[in-house]
Amino acid sequence: MIRLNLVLLLAVLASAFYLVHTQYESRRLYTAIDRAQAQARKLESEHEQLQVQKRAQATPARVQQLATRQLDMRPVTPGITEYVVMPVAATPSAAEPAR
Amino acid sequence: MSRSINYTSSPLLASKTPVWRSKFIVACLALAFAGLAGRAAYVQVFGNEFFQRQGEVRFARTLELPANRGKVLDRNGLILASSVVAQSIWAIPEDVDKSDPKLAKLARLLDMPLAELRRKLVNEDKTFVWIQRQVDEPVARQIAALDIKGIYQRREYKREYPEGEAAAHVVGFTNVEDRGQEGVELTFNEQLSGRNGSRRVIKDRLGRVVEDVRDVVPPVDGRDLQLSIDSKVQFFAYQKLKDAVQAHKAKAGSVVVIDTITGEVLALANYPSYNPNRRRNLTGEQLRNRVLTDSFEPGSIMKPFIAALALEKGLVRPETPINTAPGRISIGGSTISDSHPNNVLTVNEVIQKSSNVGTVKMAMQMSPREMWETYAQAGFGQKPQVPFPGAVSGRLRPYKTWRPIEQATMSYGYGLSASLFQLAQSYTVFARDGELVPVTLLKTDQPATGVRVFSEKNAQAVRHMLAMATGTGGTAVKAQTIGYSVGGKTGTARKQEGKGYAEKKYRSWFVGLAPVEKPRIVVAVMVDEPNNGVYYGGLVAAPVFSETVQQTLRIMGVQPDMSVKPQIVTEVVEESF
Repeated sequence: MIRLNLVLLLAVLASAFYLVHTQYESRRLYTAIDRAQAQARKLESEHEQLQVQKRAQATPARVQQLATRQLDMRPVTPGITEYVVMPVAATPSAAEPAR
Repeated sequence: MSRSINYTSSPLLASKTPVWRSKFIVACLALAFAGLAGRAAYVQVFGNEFFQRQGEVRFARTLELPANRGKVLDRNGLILASSVVAQSIWAIPEDVDKSDPKLAKLARLLDMPLAELRRKLVNEDKTFVWIQRQVDEPVARQIAALDIKGIYQRREYKREYPEGEAAAHVVGFTNVEDRGQEGVELTFNEQLSGRNGSRRVIKDRLGRVVEDVRDVVPPVDGRDLQLSIDSKVQFFAYQKLKDAVQAHKAKAGSVVVIDTITGEVLALANYPSYNPNRRRNLTGEQLRNRVLTDSFEPGSIMKPFIAALALEKGLVRPETPINTAPGRISIGGSTISDSHPNNVLTVNEVIQKSSNVGTVKMAMQMSPREMWETYAQAGFGQKPQVPFPGAVSGRLRPYKTWRPIEQATMSYGYGLSASLFQLAQSYTVFARDGELVPVTLLKTDQPATGVRVFSEKNAQAVRHMLAMATGTGGTAVKAQTIGYSVGGKTGTARKQEGKGYAEKKYRSWFVGLAPVEKPRIVVAVMVDEPNNGVYYGGLVAAPVFSETVQQTLRIMGVQPDMSVKPQIVTEVVEESF
């Protein structure tokens, strides 16, 4: 009888310790996931910021300014534009010189 | 079994203890237990709620989950406005050492006079004061590095407008509380602004979140808004307008581009403008969205409507001759004259040469009611159906109060008023073969269904007249553009001041469409008080129209409908007609 009780006591103790451990582990993991989520949010807002910056660097105003100043380019006009008609069917362009 | 001590014989135990003593002890113990039980019952049953709350206060925290404001995008998905993180600097004035030399550095970083910073710190509120809100990230980092006692930072969101001044009037801006103040930001504030969420968590000794107490209320992000604006078209239109306003030393200018098929507004710009990212010392002049808020007498722009109505009623045909000699006509004692007298003109030529007399002669054969109805159908006197703050309806008086002279002046655009936006929209009637298109600022892919004002044939006939007005012998030769056929009408008027017209203060404008055979866009340009010698719409506004049309149609991928003399790439671009 006593031996059975002892076994049960040990089992209860083991279970209790395990519970404490699990609780601890769960909190630790929860903290980790929370931190990861915060990190994700931060990265997301950084991404947003970078996108805005990227866009600000590529506005028509800036592009045109750079093109005219640094590359000596000028706005196109129909006078210097060649208009091509998209082939109706999937005609490969190689067929052109054959004619 | 042998015990050496005989208890009974012990002298210590010999004395008799009274029974009440042991009973007293037992009673004390029992009372103590009862007390414990009572306390336990109180803590766990009766006062449970209070203790639970007290416990929670000590370790549970409510965290706010900020929602993002939606982005404003252009028709191609490019960002026009977006929220980014910005730090706001705040202080506990009591804790700040006012003689700290680092305060001068802080003031310099914040671009703020030191005296003003000190003034903020002596405010009556001892526990909280904003020093500056929404500081740029690099500056905020430097301030954090200064590590001044009592100065703190708080994460907030700030709106960025990469397109800057070109799109300022359309997009508008928000205030520091992230609420829309102008433009689309104001009109669509509801849709753009999100709802913050919250979560209740338990934090441990080190401030780490270890558990969620309740269900998380997720933040609802604002929805993105896609406008019909094409940022390239917008930029080009703005730039050309700005160049023209500066070249003519004008006070202001506006331009609007409408897609005639879908009714979308592709560009809407004003000059002077402002940079929505740096909004210090803004004036009303800069903020005004003149396209929608300024109304003026449309002048000659109205003549094509009279011609179309005359065709519609069968009064004339395009070739019908009208005698406009001697360039004057008398109506009810007042004289209306042409600035350049002509002789006999066909209806086509009346519009082409913008003859007041010819137009009046057509208009006086109509009833005021018919004229009023046509004008009203074309959108005059009504607020445009665009959700925009401050859009005006213009003025179109009820026909019953028109005197004959008023009917006459209204036929050539005086005695009524409209905004540039209304003028642009009204010309979709000619661009869409007689249908007025409903305009929209939001992107749509479906062609719009218009409201018929004139028959297809007559609208086309008037379009032909508009094309003649920009051709040789017309009033707006400078509206021509390489490769694309255009049609349109100029207007020039002395500005109204008080009751009369101002001397030497003009307003010039041009409203037109392109390409003439299958119009894709309507463009309206207005320049306010050109002050550099020339002031006619045909010379001031028409060139802006021409360049805007060319760039817009090219961006839209519309093939030129006129033959273009191919040019080798050299320096001169010459016109080919």
